[in-house]
Amino acid sequence: MSNAAIAVGVALLVAVAVAAVAWPFVSPVRGVPEPVLSERDRHRIELLERRDAAYSGLRDLEHDHRTGKVSDDDYEAERRRLRGEAAGVLRDLDALDSTTGDRPDPPREV
Amino acid sequence: MAVFGTAALIVTFALAVYATGAALLAARRRDRRLMQSAANALMAGFATTLAATVCLLIALARHDFSIQTVATTTSRELPLQYRLSALWASQEGSLLLWLTVLTGAASLVMLQNRRRNRELMPWVAAVLGGIIVFFSGMVAFVSPPFQQVSGAAPANGSGLDPALQNPYMVAHPPMLYLGYVSVAVPFAFAMAALIAGRTDSRWLVAVRRWTLFAWMCLGVGMLLGAHWAYVEIGWGGYWAWDPVENAALMPWLAATAFLHSVMVQEKKGMLKVWNMVLVTATFALALFGTFLTRSGIVGSIHAFVQSGVGVYLLTFIAVVLAVATALIVWRLPMLRSEHRLESVVSREATFLFNNLLLLAFAFAILWGVIFPVLSEAVRGVQSTVSTPYYNFFLVAFGLPLLILTGIGPLVAWRKASVNSLARTFRWPAMSALAAGGLMALAGLGSSAAGLTAFSLCVFVTITIGLEFARGMSARRAVAGTSWSRSLVDLVGRNRRRYGGYVVHLAIVILVVGVTASSAYSTSTQATLAPGQSMNLAGYTLTYDGLSRSRDSNSVTTSAVLKVSRGGQTVGSLSPGQRIYPIEQRSTNEVDIRRSMLTGTDLYTILQGVSQQDGRTVTVKALVNPAVGLIWVAGLVFLIGALITIWPDPREARQLARRYAAALAREA
Repeated sequence: MSNAAIAVGVALLVAVAVAAVAWPFVSPVRGVPEPVLSERDRHRIELLERRDAAYSGLRDLEHDHRTGKVSDDDYEAERRRLRGEAAGVLRDLDALDSTTGDRPDPPREV
Repeated sequence: MAVFGTAALIVTFALAVYATGAALLAARRRDRRLMQSAANALMAGFATTLAATVCLLIALARHDFSIQTVATTTSRELPLQYRLSALWASQEGSLLLWLTVLTGAASLVMLQNRRRNRELMPWVAAVLGGIIVFFSGMVAFVSPPFQQVSGAAPANGSGLDPALQNPYMVAHPPMLYLGYVSVAVPFAFAMAALIAGRTDSRWLVAVRRWTLFAWMCLGVGMLLGAHWAYVEIGWGGYWAWDPVENAALMPWLAATAFLHSVMVQEKKGMLKVWNMVLVTATFALALFGTFLTRSGIVGSIHAFVQSGVGVYLLTFIAVVLAVATALIVWRLPMLRSEHRLESVVSREATFLFNNLLLLAFAFAILWGVIFPVLSEAVRGVQSTVSTPYYNFFLVAFGLPLLILTGIGPLVAWRKASVNSLARTFRWPAMSALAAGGLMALAGLGSSAAGLTAFSLCVFVTITIGLEFARGMSARRAVAGTSWSRSLVDLVGRNRRRYGGYVVHLAIVILVVGVTASSAYSTSTQATLAPGQSMNLAGYTLTYDGLSRSRDSNSVTTSAVLKVSRGGQTVGSLSPGQRIYPIEQRSTNEVDIRRSMLTGTDLYTILQGVSQQDGRTVTVKALVNPAVGLIWVAGLVFLIGALITIWPDPREARQLARRYAAALAREA
């Protein structure tokens, strides 16, 4: 490879690299600030996670009961507890969203 | 070519420095354009690193012996596939491969998360950028792959280590590197979650597939390496607790622990600190594995000084551990558990025990690896930690882990009652006891550990079978589908759970293969003149004479052995010794007769040819029962891992629903 070819190759490499990093600043699409969750949003996501965890717990419990890992008595007691937990989280979500006018995701069949 | 490659690596380093700085600034200013610029820099870094790698591959293919890496790892006689695989035969080339995979992984993460995890991504980019700065700095300035030889280029290179001239060495190192490097992604997300204060389970979801991918690559890579050792090194075994083998096993064990404990966090909001510790430990152990294989510290402590890269890697590991520890301590209040462990007889408790055993095993191996180094550094005494040390811990931790593999899936979350446990474990326990008794009667009681392992394998297999049967039965009751449809639905709707069971089955098959081939192996050695025979486990090997063959870079001398069983000839074997004139080395070329039915191998090694008459040979033969199951286990492991990794669109939709609303208001 001749020196000229190497020089052209290196120049191209640098040009592509510079173009890649500079493109977001020169592109016609205007940049907007990165979204950051507020404390309220964080709390809401935390509640949604707890709600989904309770739903998932109910699904697992159902599966464990059907496959014989949980007795009928344990199943009823645990089901009551998880449903109570989910209901509590949904109440908290309602309370949080009533102040902002948002609606939580609709509860799903579990 | 060398100048262009070197320039490309320097550009990669500059891009990584820029990406790290821009990402940090983007996180601070919440500037999307800066973040996009940082992501572009990481992707451009992949392109420039790839360009450098292609340059080195061209140099290797074209015999450019003016480059030291090419001159010291290849020769004109070396076949093309091994000239190309020589990329990872040298320290410089393997670090370049590390960097290529790392920049590729970082680029993929940036592409995958263009519209996801926006709060985390600037920090993820900064952490990945920081890791790339370190490795690109090493490749560009400390261990450059394009360094020129001093003086005129030699007419021929010194060749490749003959042990590396094997098809498995074409696939095994890249697979391990994919594993080592991919664990950087979960680590980057974990650190990003800590810095951003987003310690909810979002980061866990983002890294799950990367962790599974890394873990799968390490697992498959280790099995490929074991098969390479079995067919190439020629001592009759496949795992020698070599430090380099241990280097891959340690992060794999830590990642296995993480994959289990992450479920406890997702289901119960527990073990948040522990998961951060496990992710950090997995990444640090992967770096330590790179340090072990690249520093030369294991062979001799003096090689550490000569190597040059060791001290940098060790410093980097120390920095990683210090920063991660500081971040975890800083965010401890956010990492509090949402629930307590309510019963020691629960799924989460079995996961916790499994974690403790896996970590204890990983650290027992770590101690075995570093003890000789510490001993030489502190006392000036060279010592070795040999196989019995590792085998002791393999049995001490492995058997309880095997029990937990069977127990875990059968125990309910939160707590299990004695009655349901008795009902659930009745059949698996009775089957295991019955199988143990039958095996003892069949004469397998010569190894207590072996008999216990086999019985436990029966226990675990029955639990897995029952899980599938009960799940399919429940599915049929709900949906009224056929058995085959129920199986497809069951696995499709619960990929993690049932993919995990398939992996458990792979572990059972592996344990059977390892136990049978190690506890019940037989061997013999004999010196034979033409026409003489040796006997082993019902086989008769009759030596017919020597044969010689030659290829482009080697000459092979083989002993032709006629194999008969029960008086009938069943085939022939030709174990040999191969001499590589360029490399001035020789290797054992073993020959193996495999039974597809039982997985048992008749394994032959040519130990030597008499110098006196040039015809008498010394042959070692082994019968390794069920060793083929180890390679079958690899295939089943791969299938199970792929089922688990396969994306679940329902889960993606649920997560998208959960986060989209909150982000939409801010955007």
